[in-house]
Amino acid sequence: MIVAVFFIVGSQKICAQSNDSLLLQEIESLKARVEQNKPGKSIFMLRGYAHSGFVKTDDQVSFDGGSFNPLLMFKQSDRLLFESELEMELASDGLEINLEYANISYILTQTLTLRAGKFLTPFGIFVPRLHPAWINKFPTKPLGTGHSGILPTADIGVELRGGAYLGPLKVNYSLYAINGPVLNNGADEPEEGGKLHYGRFPDNNNGKSIGGRLGILPFPNSSLEVGFSGMYGLVGKDSAYANTAATLYAIDASFVKSLSAIGSVIDFKGQYAAVMVGDAQYPDHENPDELISFTNNSSTYFAQFSIRPALISTPVIRNLEFASRYSHIQTPKGSEWEVNQNQWEFSVNYWIDWRTVVKISYRSIQGEEGHEEGEEEGHGIGEGNGLFIHWAIGF
Amino acid sequence: MKKKYFSILILGVLALTLSLVNSCATSSSLASNRSGAQLWGENCLRCHNSPSPETFSDTQWDAIVLHMQVRANLTSNEAKKIVEFLKTAN
Ligand code: HEC
Repeated sequence: MIVAVFFIVGSQKICAQSNDSLLLQEIESLKARVEQNKPGKSIFMLRGYAHSGFVKTDDQVSFDGGSFNPLLMFKQSDRLLFESELEMELASDGLEINLEYANISYILTQTLTLRAGKFLTPFGIFVPRLHPAWINKFPTKPLGTGHSGILPTADIGVELRGGAYLGPLKVNYSLYAINGPVLNNGADEPEEGGKLHYGRFPDNNNGKSIGGRLGILPFPNSSLEVGFSGMYGLVGKDSAYANTAATLYAIDASFVKSLSAIGSVIDFKGQYAAVMVGDAQYPDHENPDELISFTNNSSTYFAQFSIRPALISTPVIRNLEFASRYSHIQTPKGSEWEVNQNQWEFSVNYWIDWRTVVKISYRSIQGEEGHEEGEEEGHGIGEGNGLFIHWAIGF
Repeated sequence: MKKKYFSILILGVLALTLSLVNSCATSSSLASNRSGAQLWGENCLRCHNSPSPETFSDTQWDAIVLHMQVRANLTSNEAKKIVEFLKTAN
């Protein structure tokens, strides 16, 4: 009997031992596999976004090309990041490719980062934060923004930026030197005399533009941010325009809050911006030997509000969003590119996931378009109404 | 005149920036009051819909949060806490 018990216990022990060694072997091989696939410090990511859709306005009914914007990101170390984005857009004569940005960032301290290269100009909030199609709540842009608008988009230079706490206040800041805007003296395009162009390369003069933005978040929960931006620089070339300078400023505000009482996230964003260019004379469009002058001041603003019942349990309702935006642009009175317009945009959006959306939107533009024909939304566009159905995806 | 106001603005921002370079102590003591989950909940919906932690892997979050640290002007301390939260919750 006793022998039998010993025998059973002994054989179980041998069994357990062989199970243990099998388990150990398994663990070792898993360890080796994990080690093999251990990510290095350096990480590459391909992300980006795309959008397209359908548009019906007074003068066109068309499927709309949209764009595909690949974003390439290299995290070289905990402190070093390279980011770059291309914009590939369908144009009437083929494909148009632009380098939206390509820059390197180095985290200097807790509160300060150095950035160099081509970056989205930290002027106001629309371009640096809201313009990607999966972030912009409308298929269209506020008047005055966008590639042919009157505000800075992206430029080449260096920047110091960061965020910190000042007592109970959270602040963020950016200071930069860039090539800056280029003044169109109207010699080749009299219809654009006095207009500023952004992101042109190489610079047309030795004067660089300097600028900055200060953002203040007065509440500890960061729901509200108020921002002040400014930029100054010489913009002209040749003796007649050598001292022509441009001063730009903007005030922006953002308020985003999850309100459990109404089961929704509310989102308000707004921006006012002014562009002032020093006095100069430009060729007359009709009679290029004559010179004209005007007070070269422009301004633009937008205010947008959206609500999404994101905290409601029914998925169909939770994914809906209602948004509206008002924007205005005024370019210099008496200039060849005078525009004084208002735009309303209303959109009902359905979010398939956090960065995939279908937008059904209505736009209405009123006001004087001036002399210039707009070729893209963003500055003066023909008066009238439009219906847009667009999808946008971020990946 | 405009130029003068502008110079004042720029000098103000510059002075503030320089004074903040050495303000690590203040920033870390205040940021430490808020957890990674709280910072994620309050910051990541300010510009776009907030991605849930399970959207990306640990490695992907490392790159994305560094990207957003620069884009959204987060302090290194805030970014560190957010990334730690995302990695434990994904
Ligand atoms: C200041 C505005 C802002 C805030 C705050 C912000 N983001 Fe972003 N985020 C952006 C913008 C703008 C993009 C689009 C980048 C592009 O396409 O140029 C983006 C893109 C992304 C992407 C897509 C991949 C990538 O890296 O581009 C992810 C994921 C993301 N954000 C996550 C977050 C998380 C997590 C937070 C909170 C820590 C956050 N964001 C806070 C503005 C912001």
